[in-house]
Amino acid sequence: MDFSQFDRFKVTFQKGDLIFCEYEPGDTFYLIQSGRVQIVKIMGEIEKIIDILHPGEIFGEMAILEEAPRSASALAIETVEALEFNKKNFEILLRGNPQISSTILQTFIKRIYDQKRRFMILTLKEPAAKVADVFLMLSETQASDSTSPTERIIETSVDDIAHWCGISTQECGQIIEHFVNQRKIEMDSKHIIVKNINDFRRFVNSRRKQ
Amino acid sequence: MPQVMQYQAKSIIYFEGDASEKIYILQSGKLCLNYIDIETGQENREMVKTGEFFGVKSAMGRYPREETVDVLTQSTVVVFTVSEFENLFQNNIRISMQMLKVFSNQLRRIHRNVRNLLAYEDQTDPEKGLFNIGEYYYKNKRYKQALYAFRRYLTYYPTGLYQSQATQYIGKTESFIQGMPVEERASVTDAPVQKTIQKSEQNDSRIFFEGMSLFSQGDYENALESFRTIITRYSSGESYPKALFETGRCFFHLKQYDNCMKHFTALIQKMPKHPDIVEALLYLGLSCEAKGNNQKAVSFFSKILTMGDENTQTIRKAKQALKRIEGNL
Repeated sequence: MDFSQFDRFKVTFQKGDLIFCEYEPGDTFYLIQSGRVQIVKIMGEIEKIIDILHPGEIFGEMAILEEAPRSASALAIETVEALEFNKKNFEILLRGNPQISSTILQTFIKRIYDQKRRFMILTLKEPAAKVADVFLMLSETQASDSTSPTERIIETSVDDIAHWCGISTQECGQIIEHFVNQRKIEMDSKHIIVKNINDFRRFVNSRRKQ
Repeated sequence: MPQVMQYQAKSIIYFEGDASEKIYILQSGKLCLNYIDIETGQENREMVKTGEFFGVKSAMGRYPREETVDVLTQSTVVVFTVSEFENLFQNNIRISMQMLKVFSNQLRRIHRNVRNLLAYEDQTDPEKGLFNIGEYYYKNKRYKQALYAFRRYLTYYPTGLYQSQATQYIGKTESFIQGMPVEERASVTDAPVQKTIQKSEQNDSRIFFEGMSLFSQGDYENALESFRTIITRYSSGESYPKALFETGRCFFHLKQYDNCMKHFTALIQKMPKHPDIVEALLYLGLSCEAKGNNQKAVSFFSKILTMGDENTQTIRKAKQALKRIEGNL
């Protein structure tokens, strides 16, 4: 896409700059032109990385509609050049570069889907079912290296899973340990090997029906 | 080319779980979307309006269909491939804006639902949240980010609950940085300052917003500074006319009535079609009143009554002012 006509909207951030901060009122959104941006959220004493965004991606897009406190912080992890827009000049952007509307639409769709999936996990009552559903979700979105049709190798951590489930790391660790003891999963520092994903699917489905 | 398709009553256009390739728009007839509401777990039915798109999210995102579409009466639909739809979407700003708004609303709603389920996140109000972030980075010795968060805190909440703590933290952070070797120091301090300048050069609306935030907290002097920055630096910016108006309001609240009158008189001459012209007259009247020039004040308030809708707040205030002056006379 050609963005040369939008030079007046260009902003540069240095490595380590917070582009915006969680809870700050938000009135602008950004289209990355170069460099990477980390979306992070401080949860208790942990800085949780929610996403890493690359050139061509947008962030802060909720500001297209209204000003609301930011739900996460955006951190430049290298020198980042981005175009900065607000509600008012968004239409100028669309007129000058209609393809961008598809990029934004795709972003919305992906985020709606991710959030819905997360919501589905959170509506399960039993913490063990939540953890199992996170395995399902991650196996849906990650390509598995395993050769077995039912085994899934998932790149994740206890912290990650606890975050998705909205439970403490300690509680999550106990549930995972229980699954390990039952020989349903194996784990190392970065991966969880789910022996039979269908077992977990049946488990989650039965709990969801309740 | 998009295809026009006819569907008979009691047929199904697609089932939940089907692979998604096409996007549809209802031209005539009656269709119903059946889906499980993720909030209640109940089955939900929603009629499709004529002219409405359906199947967009699943086709664009390549997810399985999330609903089953029942045909209630014989219906005509136009069927688009994803690329045909993208073409239409990109070349029609009205459609793209509308659809982005619909999806942005959906995203906000689902965000809210997720937050409600994660009750612990909701307990933090934005003011405390912003301060906590500064503290988190400070404790983790990430001074650059800590400085940013505390500075933002003071911008938005200059008289806030944690104002003195934030100021102290900034002092401490800066003295830590002083103690660092020069080369490290530069990497910590220079960038945020540079960024502020770069950003503000690009975005007058941000400064305007900061000014409004200060104004709403009664910090008229600093608000005035923000608006003056816009006036001197961004005379072609979108916020310029608004900043001009707010500058006058700051003068009034700072009790600088002569400046206020001079300012609004110049504004009215320079921009007779300014959207806030009636309110500018109100401030002219109020300034005259404050200076004891009731006769001139009455002429401004009376002028306001001849302008605009009777029920606006400005007209009500003008009426009140006239009554007040009459009472004094």
